[in-house]
Formats: sequence, structure tokens, C-alpha cells
Amino acid sequence: MEVEIRLEPGRQEPKVVIFAGGESEELLRLAESLRSLALGPIPVSRGEEKLLLPQEDFLRFYTDGKGVSAQTAQETYAVRLRLYELETALDNRRFVRISNGEIINLDRVTAIDLSLSGTICMTLDGTVRSYVSRRYVKKIKATLNLGRRNNHEQD
Amino acid sequence: MNKIKQVGLARVLTGMVLGLMFGVALVPYIMGVRNSSPLVCLLCAALGGAAGAATLPFADDGKSLLLRSGIHLAVTASLFGLLMAQLGAEGVELLVWEAILALLYAVVWLGRWIGWYVEVIQLRTLLGLSPGPSPLKWRETLPYLPFVLFLCNGLPLLMRWADHAVSADVPVLSGLILPYLLLPVGGFCSGLSLGKRQGVCPLYPTACLVCYLPMVFLLFNRTALFHSVMAALPALLGNVMGWMYRRAVPKRGAER
Repeated sequence: MEVEIRLEPGRQEPKVVIFAGGESEELLRLAESLRSLALGPIPVSRGEEKLLLPQEDFLRFYTDGKGVSAQTAQETYAVRLRLYELETALDNRRFVRISNGEIINLDRVTAIDLSLSGTICMTLDGTVRSYVSRRYVKKIKATLNLGRRNNHEQD
Repeated sequence: MNKIKQVGLARVLTGMVLGLMFGVALVPYIMGVRNSSPLVCLLCAALGGAAGAATLPFADDGKSLLLRSGIHLAVTASLFGLLMAQLGAEGVELLVWEAILALLYAVVWLGRWIGWYVEVIQLRTLLGLSPGPSPLKWRETLPYLPFVLFLCNGLPLLMRWADHAVSADVPVLSGLILPYLLLPVGGFCSGLSLGKRQGVCPLYPTACLVCYLPMVFLLFNRTALFHSVMAALPALLGNVMGWMYRRAVPKRGAER
């Protein structure tokens, strides 16, 4: 398959156009997997200021008393989207829900610890601690397995 | 009613039926009597129900798991104690039966924990992280074993020898200084040091307890069994305090 990348300065979200001779199952699968990548930036706000930040900047998205917050290595922003909306907007190979109130960036996990009471603690960027609900462990493993399988396929 | 509750209820009911069958059919045979009393049958059914619900407390994690497990243990121990009392156990025998139940609980807990640990290892592998600490941190505890051997074996031998050497009427060193000063202080300080470096290491206080036991019967008698606790309990306390210190220090600079 021939792949061509054209850079367009100022474009916020990448657009992919597939040229093919006819419709096939493989083509539909390719389109679906590209669509699921969800690489677009996430709109956040800092006070009155509205910003669009790339997904890789985020450590986690979590609900607090006021609403949904997004944390990067530098600071925390408010997000208008709900967690279930963020789940569809984020790259599902990188971001995964670890509890009812939190989505984390798996690329930023630096440590995982288990307590005697079975609580799994994930450390992001060496400082931020997030707690995994046991109900989501299967989903996390499935996400990681998917990512690894895709990496092998690319190799 | 959701599926989890339905499955839980089915297990409790199955356990109750099996418990009742045990009470009606096997208890008279074991006890050499004609019939079980209605109270024994009722207790058997209740205990069967409690056993059927045994996996439910492990469905969650953290504080919820500890709370549910604690409640389940208390209920099971009460029912079991009542049943054993009805079957004629009393005093020390009753305590031994309760201790066996507690041991069974500890084994089940350990089995669950190993399952969780394997899951964490899988996650670490999938994320490309280092394998992490050994199960129950046995490898991390090993460097402290020489100190445990010195504290719980070397020191009692030395103290006992010193008492004999001075031919004292009262064995002050082995009877007073050792159990009330050296063992608690040594256990606490070493536990604190280990906790600060490695976090909670449950095998450390256990090692203190087990290593001292031969000394009890070699140098003293069973009245000195409390010496083991005088080493193990401060070791556990120190270990937990060291872990709390370790947790508190990085929090000062951490962000949420």
C-alpha cells in the first residue's frame, strides 16, 4: 500500500483520504481502524482562556466535585466534555478508563503498585497517583494487548 | 436485581442447602448421636450460607474489601464458634478451632492476593515497566534476615549464657532486659528501617516470630512464648510506621 503524507500548516486535526479501485472488507477495516485512532486535540479551558491541546500532553482526565478536569505535566485544566464523551474523542490505544471517575494516558505510566488490600496504584510521570478499580483491569489489559498486537503488526 | 447479586444469592442458597445436609446427615455420624438438634442444623445452614458468600467480599478493592472481609470473618467466626460450642468444644479447644478458621482465611486471602499480583505483573509487562517487587517482598526482606537471626537467636543465647555465667538468682538479662527492652526496641527499629526503604513487608514480623520460637523451647519453656510476640509486634508496628513515613514524604512535593 502506498502511503503519502502532505503537511498543511495550521490544520488542527489530520485528515485521511483513501484512494482505492473498489470497495472491499479490508478497505472498510482500514477506514474503521483509522477512524478509531481519534488523534484530534482536546478543547480545554483555563479560566476564560480556551485552548486546544494535543492528546499526548495529557496525563489524565478525572471528575472532581465541579466537573471534569484534565491534568498535564504542568497544570490542570477544566474540560467541558463528560468522561464518556472523552472516551470516544480520545485515542483508545493510549487512553483507558481505570475507574468510574478517571481516564489515564497509558504512555505516561511510570509505575504500578499493589497494596495488601488489593488496590492497584498507577503512578503517572513519577508524581501523580491514580487508583485502578478492579472492575476495569480486564479492559486495561485488553487495551494494552490491542496496542501491542498492532505494534507487532506494524513491525 | 443485577447479575452479580443473582449469582451471590444463588451461592448463598446453595451453601445453606449443603450446610443443612451436612448438619442433618453427617454431624450425627461424626458426633455418634442419633439426631442433630434443630439449633445445630440451623447453625450448619447459616455457616454454609456464609461459606457460599465467601467470594463476594473480594469483588471490590481497598477499604471496601477490608470492611466486607472483616464483617464476613466476624460473622463466620461467630457462627463457627457457636456451632463448635454446640458440638461440645470449650475453652482452649474452641480457641484452637477459631485459630484454624483464621488460618484458613489467611490462606484464602494470600491466594487472592497472589492472583492480583499476577495481574499487576501482566500490566507491568504489557506497559514495558520493570517487574517490580517480589511477592510479599520476600526478596527485599532477605537483607534483614541476618539481623533477625541475631536479635531472635543470637541475643537470647548470649543473654542466657550471661545469666548462667554470673549465676544470678533472677535471670535479669534473659528474663527482663531481653523481652521487655531488647526485643521490642530491636524489632521496632529494624522494622522501621525496612518500612522506610521497602514499604510494608509482612514476612518480616512473621520471620521474627518464627525465628524466636525455637529459642522459647531451647532456652526457656512455653511460658516464654510471649517473647516471640514481643519481637514480632514491634517489628510490625515499626514496619507500618516506616511505610507511613515513606508515603508521607513524597506527598509533600507531589501534585494532584
